[in-house]
Amino acid sequence: MLRKIMLARVLIASFLFVPSSVLGQNAKLIEAAKKEGKAIAYGSLESDTMEAIVNAFKKKTGLEVEYWRASATKVMDRALSEARAGRPTADLIITNDNPLRLMQKENLFQKYESPAAKDFPKDAVDPVLGPRYRNVIIGVVFNKSGIKAEDAPKSLEDLVNPKYKGKLVMPDPTQHTTTTQWVASLHKLMGKEKADKFIRDLGAMKPILVESLLPSAERVMTGETPLSITYVKYAYVFGKRGAPLDYVRLPKMMGDGHYIALAAKAPHPSTGRAFIDYFLDNDSMNTMAKLGEFVNRKGVLPPLPDADKIGFVEMEDLSEKEFAEKKKEYQQIFLR
Amino acid sequence: MSLDRSIAVGQQIPSAWSRSRVGAFLSQPVSWVFIVVGAIIAFLSLYPTLFLFYGSLTDAPLGVPGHFTLQNYVRAYSDPEAYPLLLNSFIFGIGSAGLSVVFALTLAWITIRTNAPLRRLFELTAIIPNILPPILVSISWVMLLNPSNGLINGLFVQFFGMERGPFNIYSLAGLVFVEGLILTPLAFLIIAAALKSMDPSLEESAKTLGSGEFGIMSRITFPLIRPAILAAGTLNFVRAVESFDTPAIIALPARIEVFTTKIWREALGSFPTNHNLAATYGVGILVIALTFVYLYRRFTSQVESFSTVTGKGFRPHQIDLGKYRYLATAVAFLLLILLVVLPILVLLLVAILPYYHVPTWQTWQNLTFDHFRYIWATPRVHRAFLNSLFLALVGATICMLLASLASYISVRTKIAGRGLLEGLVFIPWAFPGTAMALGLLWAYVDFPIPVYGTIWIILIAYVTRFLPYGLRAVSSTIIQVHKELEEASVVCGAGFLATFRRVLIPMMRPGVMAGWIILVTIFLREFSATLFLYSPGAEPLGPLLYFLYLDGMRGRVAAIGLVISVISVILIAIAQRYSRWETN
Repeated sequence: MLRKIMLARVLIASFLFVPSSVLGQNAKLIEAAKKEGKAIAYGSLESDTMEAIVNAFKKKTGLEVEYWRASATKVMDRALSEARAGRPTADLIITNDNPLRLMQKENLFQKYESPAAKDFPKDAVDPVLGPRYRNVIIGVVFNKSGIKAEDAPKSLEDLVNPKYKGKLVMPDPTQHTTTTQWVASLHKLMGKEKADKFIRDLGAMKPILVESLLPSAERVMTGETPLSITYVKYAYVFGKRGAPLDYVRLPKMMGDGHYIALAAKAPHPSTGRAFIDYFLDNDSMNTMAKLGEFVNRKGVLPPLPDADKIGFVEMEDLSEKEFAEKKKEYQQIFLR
Repeated sequence: MSLDRSIAVGQQIPSAWSRSRVGAFLSQPVSWVFIVVGAIIAFLSLYPTLFLFYGSLTDAPLGVPGHFTLQNYVRAYSDPEAYPLLLNSFIFGIGSAGLSVVFALTLAWITIRTNAPLRRLFELTAIIPNILPPILVSISWVMLLNPSNGLINGLFVQFFGMERGPFNIYSLAGLVFVEGLILTPLAFLIIAAALKSMDPSLEESAKTLGSGEFGIMSRITFPLIRPAILAAGTLNFVRAVESFDTPAIIALPARIEVFTTKIWREALGSFPTNHNLAATYGVGILVIALTFVYLYRRFTSQVESFSTVTGKGFRPHQIDLGKYRYLATAVAFLLLILLVVLPILVLLLVAILPYYHVPTWQTWQNLTFDHFRYIWATPRVHRAFLNSLFLALVGATICMLLASLASYISVRTKIAGRGLLEGLVFIPWAFPGTAMALGLLWAYVDFPIPVYGTIWIILIAYVTRFLPYGLRAVSSTIIQVHKELEEASVVCGAGFLATFRRVLIPMMRPGVMAGWIILVTIFLREFSATLFLYSPGAEPLGPLLYFLYLDGMRGRVAAIGLVISVISVILIAIAQRYSRWETN
């Protein structure tokens, strides 16, 4: 009798601690997925990160996922065009908030409640798109060979100190959509009045303008410009390769949330769902964090110093009209 | 043979194509060729672009029912700010196209027509920059000439004790210089092909009559290759005006605005992307492109004036430069340093450094071959190489076959509507790459023959978009081929196709091979038309380079770029062997 009770306890315990992907429900899902063949994902998640997750998924389930990598705008362009033409090809879309909302408006997605969602903070779970699996955070990155840590700015407002004139590079907010959004959301960090003044002062500094956030980081990496507004993760990603980069420890930083969504007319829905489960699970989130990503799964952090102290503020979503207006407004401030 | 006589002969030949009767028209094999080639080109060109024209006249995105509107045209062309930007673009286009033609003409003349030592080596390597994605060439030059830590500026500071380096890439001059270098290989191939096809008899006559080498060059050689110079200038001007890569890297930090930065801000870089507006801007670029096609046709309308390839066997006249031949080699070498050596050295550096930085002594301890190992160890990269090689070789061959036939019809026949062919060819080329890619997606996503998502749609896209390169390269050579050879062939009983295959193609060979090389090198790295069309997991090299670049993997991009360069040089060497008259 005692042995039976012990056995029952072991079974219950193993059931509780077993990864969700081998639960009965998911076993059925994987069986169904195996009949579909490979799934197709469109996304703006970095290829190496996706490749690591796709390979691990294949090893675990035997299922394949083909990945089409492009910028968020191109992901949206292709997915929308195929859907409008009645030829949806992608099962999964993995990109940032704003384009996903636009695609959502055209009913491109179906709701899927992954069992893995419970391990994300409740405020990070969208009713349709599911968990916001990562935050891509914009901050100030500097080259330690060009600026000593003690001379680096301590706050965003410090950036407009005349001593940094000619030393700052940032994406052109009249061209680069995420930067338009970042500048337009600054009021969330410093209040409207301060933000308006800061934006005017930043424009008057005549920062070196580049095409997007990556060239902004690369100019700091090469030492061409010592200070940059860019993704904070680049301090780790390029630092790992040997670049002498660090980031300014701002108390709060803004960024964009990223999601993985299941297409409404996914040609391989079971494989898509099985992949979402794995993608949001502990293994994948740890893989992603190790590569420098700020994932939202509780207790998983990237190996960037003081990553746990970063307070994340999500940027505001702008409508098409607001984007156009802001771009016009910033032309007067940044290009004059 | 004198120029006057050849024009006279040309006018005396009765034109078979001017007959009005349909029966007579259809009895000519060349008419059928015109119908078939015209139908293929019209379909390839108009089918995807109709979606874009339609998009420019509607207020909804492609695929969504909308209302007819001219609002896109009002928005695109009523903005007074657009016109100073057009002027900037014009200066940029003229400057870079002019510079590319001067560089190409100098290099082509030295390598093809003189006895300068090492000329074959220069000829082989001059095309290399066409293989590299333009964005990589721009980035290389930023690394060399940026005012803060550019390598060349650094050398000046170190060796001449200057406070700052003398060069600033972030200027209009820098922009024109880099774009001019990027455009030079295309101009070189077209001009070199024309120089190879020239019969030296006119130059020899001038020499007999006492003209010096300079006089021959300025009064005989250059006027005779004017179609090629104009062709190269036209193509490069339009290419510069519609280019976004170099302005994004150089003009943006310099705060120089050109027309494409406006297109990017308001259409392609807007959120969501406004392809209707992008297509409307494309219509403007199309008007510019078609104006240049018209001017080109006018300047070269007296076709016979340029005919120098006759039935007589000849070898291109080689000018003995005497003691100046070493000077010519030095000039060619200097151009090659700018075109090839410096950008390739920077790429090599990027490919063997763990991350790019200005090299120091410590750098040499951190060198890595990881990026080359990635190529070796990644099956996806191998697949991409195979896909691209297939696309490049098959695509360029199909393109040149079509271009040769279209060019023959356009230049050599009097068929009504022949000029339309050239206009049609240029239509898809004038639209911004991303807008055109969407047009292609729309055209073929639901096509009755299921080509979407297969390698065949990429072939269709390449032929559609890049036919103008092939057409320009071959028509500037076909202009030089005298009619007497065809007439002789017809008199001997050969039909049109036999004459085309056995007489014209061999005579046009330098132009055909030049076009083929241009297309192969472009197809090996093309991404904007490919991106929306390939099936995930089976990408060619262009999209692979694109997403590696997007992921900040400069080292891998540089390493793959270098391997593509080596493959291309091998292909070019083989192609050039077949393009020489001497091998006949």
